[in-house]
Amino acid sequence: MSTMTINGKLAPLPDDPDALLVDVVRDALDLTGTKLVCGAGVCGACTVLVDGEPAVSCLMPARSAADRNVTTVEGIGAEKLHPVQKAFMAHDALQCGFCTPGFIVEAAAFHDSWRAAKGTAVPSREEIGAALSGHLCRCGAYDGIFRAVADACAGRFDGEEFVPPRMEARDKVTGSAKYTVDIHHDGQLEGVILRSPFAHARIGELDLTAVRAMPGVSAAISLLGDDRIVRFVGEPIAAVAARDRKTALAAIAAINLVSERLPSVIGLDEARRADAPVVFEKSTRKKAGNVSEGAGAPASWKGNIRGPSAAFSKKPKKVRSWIDSARSANNPLLVEGTFRTGTQQHACLEPHAAVARFDGDRLTVHVSTQAVFHLMELIAKRYKLDHDKVRVIADHVGGGFGSKAALGVETTTAIELARDAKAPVRVAYDRHEELSVTGYRPAAEMKVALLPSDQGKLKALSFVAYADTGAATNSTIAALARLIYPAEGKELADFDVISNLPAGAPFRGPGGPPMAFALEQAIDEAAVRMNIDPIALRKRWDPDPNRQRLYDWASSLEVWRNRKPVAAQSGRYRRGVGVATGYWLYLWQPGSKVEVAVKGGRLIASTATQDIGTGTRTVIANTLAREFGLEPHEVEVRIGDSKLPEGPGSGGSRVTASVIPPMLLAIEQLKAAIQQNAKRQPVPGSNAPWREMLAASPDLSASGVRPEDSRRMAPGIQSPLKQAGFMGWIFGWMMRRFSNLAIGAGVPSSVQVVELEIDTWLGHVSVVNVHTGIAVGKIAAPALARSQATGAVIQGIGYALYEAREVDSRTGDVLSGGMEDYRIPGIADTPMIDVHFDQGGFDHVLGGSVGIGEVATVPTSPAVANAIHHATGVRLTELPIRPDRLVAALKGRAAA
Amino acid sequence: MTASAMTSTQAGEFRAAGTDLSERRRSGVSTGPLIDIAATSDTIGMHWGADGSVRLGAFTTIAAIAADARLAAAYPGIAASAQGLATPQVRHLATLGGNLAQRSRCWYFRNPHIACLRKGGPDCPARSGNHLYHVAFDLGPCVAPHPSTMAAALLAYDAKVMTDQRSALTIGELLGDGRNGGSDNALLPGEMIKSVELPSPLQGERALYKRAISRTHSEWPLVEVCARAVVKDGAFQFVRLAAGGIAPVPLRLAAAEAALQGKQASAANIASAAEQATVGAKPLPMTGYKLDLLKGVVRDLLEKIAE
Repeated sequence: MSTMTINGKLAPLPDDPDALLVDVVRDALDLTGTKLVCGAGVCGACTVLVDGEPAVSCLMPARSAADRNVTTVEGIGAEKLHPVQKAFMAHDALQCGFCTPGFIVEAAAFHDSWRAAKGTAVPSREEIGAALSGHLCRCGAYDGIFRAVADACAGRFDGEEFVPPRMEARDKVTGSAKYTVDIHHDGQLEGVILRSPFAHARIGELDLTAVRAMPGVSAAISLLGDDRIVRFVGEPIAAVAARDRKTALAAIAAINLVSERLPSVIGLDEARRADAPVVFEKSTRKKAGNVSEGAGAPASWKGNIRGPSAAFSKKPKKVRSWIDSARSANNPLLVEGTFRTGTQQHACLEPHAAVARFDGDRLTVHVSTQAVFHLMELIAKRYKLDHDKVRVIADHVGGGFGSKAALGVETTTAIELARDAKAPVRVAYDRHEELSVTGYRPAAEMKVALLPSDQGKLKALSFVAYADTGAATNSTIAALARLIYPAEGKELADFDVISNLPAGAPFRGPGGPPMAFALEQAIDEAAVRMNIDPIALRKRWDPDPNRQRLYDWASSLEVWRNRKPVAAQSGRYRRGVGVATGYWLYLWQPGSKVEVAVKGGRLIASTATQDIGTGTRTVIANTLAREFGLEPHEVEVRIGDSKLPEGPGSGGSRVTASVIPPMLLAIEQLKAAIQQNAKRQPVPGSNAPWREMLAASPDLSASGVRPEDSRRMAPGIQSPLKQAGFMGWIFGWMMRRFSNLAIGAGVPSSVQVVELEIDTWLGHVSVVNVHTGIAVGKIAAPALARSQATGAVIQGIGYALYEAREVDSRTGDVLSGGMEDYRIPGIADTPMIDVHFDQGGFDHVLGGSVGIGEVATVPTSPAVANAIHHATGVRLTELPIRPDRLVAALKGRAAA
Repeated sequence: MTASAMTSTQAGEFRAAGTDLSERRRSGVSTGPLIDIAATSDTIGMHWGADGSVRLGAFTTIAAIAADARLAAAYPGIAASAQGLATPQVRHLATLGGNLAQRSRCWYFRNPHIACLRKGGPDCPARSGNHLYHVAFDLGPCVAPHPSTMAAALLAYDAKVMTDQRSALTIGELLGDGRNGGSDNALLPGEMIKSVELPSPLQGERALYKRAISRTHSEWPLVEVCARAVVKDGAFQFVRLAAGGIAPVPLRLAAAEAALQGKQASAANIASAAEQATVGAKPLPMTGYKLDLLKGVVRDLLEKIAE
């Protein structure tokens, strides 16, 4: 048997020629800091050092590590933290943390060779970008990573450790943070799902007896619904639990599939044809998924088209007649266009995964989830278990972005296999599953007509959206155009176009980015036609007080003041500056509870929420510590466990506004209790009165429930739903009644100014500078809010320029199922990002803070498109703006 | 993402570093026995001749080729191509031989559930399906572009490939003319690449490499070109252009080369020669854009060389 030396110790290598180094490191040696993500050498999460050089362990045969020295992330900071680790912590160069170990290993190797050759010279952004070009971060932590690597190379982190702004940063840079895919119980089995190879079929008899009898197989179950129909390639049919993945894969391959093919239809255009095969008959419509954060309202169906959902329209008939008249009168101010956006995958680096384990009648499930508490309720309901018999745990979650908010097939399958096998079972999706069947932001086709009045006001807007929702419904794109830019009339209609593709899912501001892509370009075009500054026009048409302040900020930016006329340049390279606005709803979850306690003199806050990289742990710690005059690292935060008091899901940017107010109430009670129980009061003039009192306090606890907001609001601050009148009130009531989400007053807002350069020869867009102004009230954790803001811009750049799911339009196969074909931004695609927080507008919320996650990504794609128009005079109406589309548009030709 | 599989035989598939093959094994596209192959002193490293030529062992890593100062001085197009492909962590493992013998990156080929010509199937699903990233010079039944960046660079340098069975194969002889839909190369069963010989560079030549991609780094090329030229007294004495990403095999852009031979190295001449880069192109419905990119890359490289 051959051996390798790993982190200084000798370890055996398996004889299996197909064993890869990543599997040996993670499974045999339990060094789970090394992550398996893409399995194709694209993302770098599996990077280890082999004889000092960074290498892809996901592609390296284990036997080629024989007699070599391998160092994993656990070996990088084993004795004391590497300067790069300290720098990543200090600059908050991480969010969910799943990619972080790979970045650390590569950056440490780069740092060491750079320092050896160049001392403390500072590497350029280009040098850092090239060195880390083999790593991908879906949260978009690149802004911090640039600063961390540059500062570490400059020698600024050679000394003592800094206290990091993010609570769990140390666990993430050392690889000790455990994610669901890292959980390993004794006797744990691996579950694998057999998926439909057909876009539409009825599955006949499913005989699993032979499979159950295979050596190493412990359970095999059917996953078919009652109608036995599969409606997309990849729909689950059956699942197997076996001693390892290889055995499980062999078992599902041995299942004999008897099926009757049914006619199928793929995509937005085909599914709208009158003769298209129907995906959901009337009796099966409830099987469709949901692409929004709230439950949907009833709507009519015709074939595969569900809609129009047009409740937010205002005088739609008049709008149509005004626009028709303007068109026949050749009114030059009438802006009309059709805009298309691509299908954006969440592409979480930690795949959807669950590990289920029964201990008697108690069920424990580790899940990569955005909602530990709600998931516990859903599991208990589905399997008819008492709430106290089900426990859902998620210590760390490697990205979610909306795709991990529901009870997913990975979780139900793990539970059902564990029940049948009487052993713990892990189900972790592979990359193709992750990039095909876990949801996506649906592509959309949007027809927009915008009519200014003769007095320069906004008279009418017509916005009709068709969303490519696959086996799902409830797209709200056009409806969102009601809550910004008031007009005399608005015709707003949303249609879901259902086809034999996987179901879409909520994705960071569902409906927001496509709506903004179309509407903000129409506004920009109106400004051109009216010969008025685009920010000035928004200031005129958009009375929201939060955005009024952001417009003032944006128009004072130097890059804006120096902006040249549209298409002022010729030549190969052209620069442009564009602006766009975005908003999101301020949502909070009624019933959210936080318990604060002093135990053994230490402060502890507990709530059943989770940190998916957004910084929830730190928001709670900062708030608690601040109220007691302590440092955040002196307090303890307990989250990620459904046993804790009911906490909010991480969706709809709701967490901050759901946990801070009840925590402040609980803190007030706890303080009173501590004072009551105190044997003596602190020394007058003490600069740490609470520290002394806590040290002397008996164990006490208090808990708070999320209160209603104050009704005393600043002038102009109101619920955005007010603009939609009675229908808005109904919508708000429904969201609260059926989705347990309250829509508060005040509108989280973002205005972005983008400067970019276009290479007209190669159709390449480089985003150079982004200024993002954000109004979400007081910032609870500044460094982490900045990470959210910059990451949102980077994800928005991905949406604008690179990302699109590609399918075969005949078979419904997802072709972009690997990270090389589904293209997310890399570090070198990151612009300089200037973040401006306007901290007013939410004083009616206890604590003054609301969420940032979604609003921060809404305006990026239209700001990019508007900047391209500014540079070239050409309007790009289809996302992503890839080289093929850009070179075609510049030549006035339709892209394929 | 370079490869390791040298070629398939009944006995098994060769594996060097495994950076291509491991992905296909995991997905199930490649099954059957493996034959691990390892370097000998003769098949790794750079062996310089007295005339300034060099022989590169097939097991030399891409990172070693990218980082070698003497190679970069003599053959800058080879070094730049090696620097431009895959990612740093892949380049540290991947070998030159594996890069030349890697299998198609077509998204139909890489899906174990879809039949295609390269996997012995009856037709090419990309041709009638989604071929956004496929060829713009439609030379054969399979429409996947050849994935080897090094092959295009070696074509530009008139390199000769030594195998354990044959010697002095041109890149054209190694990879074929693109008309064989069933294979990514023209190696014989069981034939293994041993080394690559580069003839000595021309006096005063310059060379550059560039790929057109949507992002900044680490993406399979939409179009890539390795360009060599000798400019003397302001005129092109020698021009050599080899392109990848556009055809089932790397292509020489002969019409563009000819258009500049002996011509003044002016921006106008370069622009009009770049228009000739697409002579012979036959784009698919979705790949017309590659012709714009090809002209753009050629023009970019020649302008920089002429500076």
